[in-house]
Amino acid sequence: MSIVVNTFKKITCKQILLYTMLTLCFAISVFFVNHNHSFYERPIAKVVETNLENTTEIIDMNNNKDHLFTQHIIAKLQNGEKKGQLIHLTNEYSSSGAYDQEYHAGNELFVSIEKNADANADITGTIHDVKRDKHVLIITWVFIFTLLVIGKKQGLFSIISLVVNAALLSYALDIYMSTSNISLIWVCGISVILFTVFSLLLINGFNEKSYAAIVATLLGTFASLFITYLVMLLTSENGLRYEEMQFLTRPPQLVFMAGLLIGSLGAVMDVAITMSSSIFGLYEKNNNISVKALRTSGMDIGKDIMGAMTNILFFAYISGSIPMLILYFKNASPFGFSLSINLSLELARALAGGIGVVITIPISLYTAIFYVNRKKARS
Amino acid sequence: MNVLVWLAAILFLLMVLIGGSKGARSFIALFFNFGVIFMTILFMTDPNADPIILTLIASTIISCITLFFINNVNNKTITAFISTIITITILIFFIAIVTDDAMIQGFSEEEIEEISMFSLYIGVDFVKIGVSMIIMSTIGAITDIAISIASPMREIIHHNPLISRKDLFTSGLIIGRDILGTNTNTLFFAFFGGYLALLIWFKELSYSIGEIVNSKVFTGEMITILCAGIGVALVIPITSWITAYALVRTREKNELSK
Repeated sequence: MSIVVNTFKKITCKQILLYTMLTLCFAISVFFVNHNHSFYERPIAKVVETNLENTTEIIDMNNNKDHLFTQHIIAKLQNGEKKGQLIHLTNEYSSSGAYDQEYHAGNELFVSIEKNADANADITGTIHDVKRDKHVLIITWVFIFTLLVIGKKQGLFSIISLVVNAALLSYALDIYMSTSNISLIWVCGISVILFTVFSLLLINGFNEKSYAAIVATLLGTFASLFITYLVMLLTSENGLRYEEMQFLTRPPQLVFMAGLLIGSLGAVMDVAITMSSSIFGLYEKNNNISVKALRTSGMDIGKDIMGAMTNILFFAYISGSIPMLILYFKNASPFGFSLSINLSLELARALAGGIGVVITIPISLYTAIFYVNRKKARS
Repeated sequence: MNVLVWLAAILFLLMVLIGGSKGARSFIALFFNFGVIFMTILFMTDPNADPIILTLIASTIISCITLFFINNVNNKTITAFISTIITITILIFFIAIVTDDAMIQGFSEEEIEEISMFSLYIGVDFVKIGVSMIIMSTIGAITDIAISIASPMREIIHHNPLISRKDLFTSGLIIGRDILGTNTNTLFFAFFGGYLALLIWFKELSYSIGEIVNSKVFTGEMITILCAGIGVALVIPITSWITAYALVRTREKNELSK
């Protein structure tokens, strides 16, 4: 009993307000997303009944076995002039589901309604896509609550940082899109500076630790970009396949370089802030610590984090290609061709990010020592 | 010469130069991990193999390589290992439900042109492969947090041998919270960088908000980012609890044997 009372005492008014606000936002957004059909121009239909009409087994030219199903769907229109009426749809899907989907009662689909000459006939239509907004919303809330419950204040900061950085990136791309004469590298370079300053100040506050980390991050990121650029120049981009970006009308090299710049930034920031916090921590514990001692301990810390950070980047990049690689292999594409088409850019990003991480270790070490020395000289 | 070979050589050189033998080991671990992912993909092409079970096996091997090969086998890497596996198992179930509900498996309209010459009816379960993809993308971050919490917790009990299990657990949580921000940032920016081409494409076609939010590609990537964040947060209490439990139990055993 006393524990319960104590926990209640610990919850301040501010927290109660925050949690009520959050619950309210949660309730309103869930309600909205389940009743927002009238905001969409595209007709939406909710599946009421499904009937399996036909099952066939197929074997493709590479001897892959699969099953094809045909589904007859009766769905109720949720918006537009014909709201409330039933619509008849057919859906073909396979058991592997690479580009198709079995639908169940309750699913909401974007459809188009076919114009029938006979007004009394059943409405028919075709399925275009699934209404996914409510799923995105639910998972977003799970994310927010998990981070807040486990991370408390730091969790809140990571959410803010994600939202602000995403908005910043989107805004930067808007600028790039609307003005044709600015290079993407410049836009992303400036965004990188803003991302770094914002994220590090948010995580660590206004102090010399953060300033040292900001300087080190920027130096490290641009150094790794420079090295990668140099390698690309020297090898005339031999081995990089831009096919996966072929849908872009813009030069893929630039998009790749810009992605590289942004992609490695998080890892580089992580290294820079870890290094500078530890160096400042050592100095604050012992004001007379020698530069040499700082350098040795800093290098030891760097060695510890190096492997982990390169690993994180590596997995984050490579795993996205898994479905595509499986498709290529199952279609009997040549081995080396499949790998180079699907992995060359991801591997290059991971390696360049790794270079950024490793090079930032000495850079952030010396920047932190420089700031420590300045502090020493002042006091 | 090839760009990738050059970059790999530069990375190796830098890692050895700055990290010494530990750097070299980290670089070799990267290669092993690549090998594991690659083998997993090859096994996944067999329609009779369950991608989820393959992912669990692959995650176990990958965390073994990352934790035991780089950091040696000791009680902190063992608790970090157990925590990683538990977190990943919980995450797999969660992601499986989410990807199935949101129908984000397989390929999107945007990608379909590139693969138009291929047969899509290849008999493997793309829902499960999608789950595997999301798990694999966070496993590096999850093992990193697990070890970053487990090793200072051992220092704490070493300096403060009488600490209670609850206090030890709380200090683990505090350590975890401190690294949460930077770790989520690392993942978020990596994903942003990877999705940049796609973002530009969305802007080029000037999709409406309604179209973006409901498209398979955007939903899929949002879910990847958010699940990665959830995984990174989830591993914190799990590791803190397991490490606190293991450390206090060893202490009690030692006291009994005295």
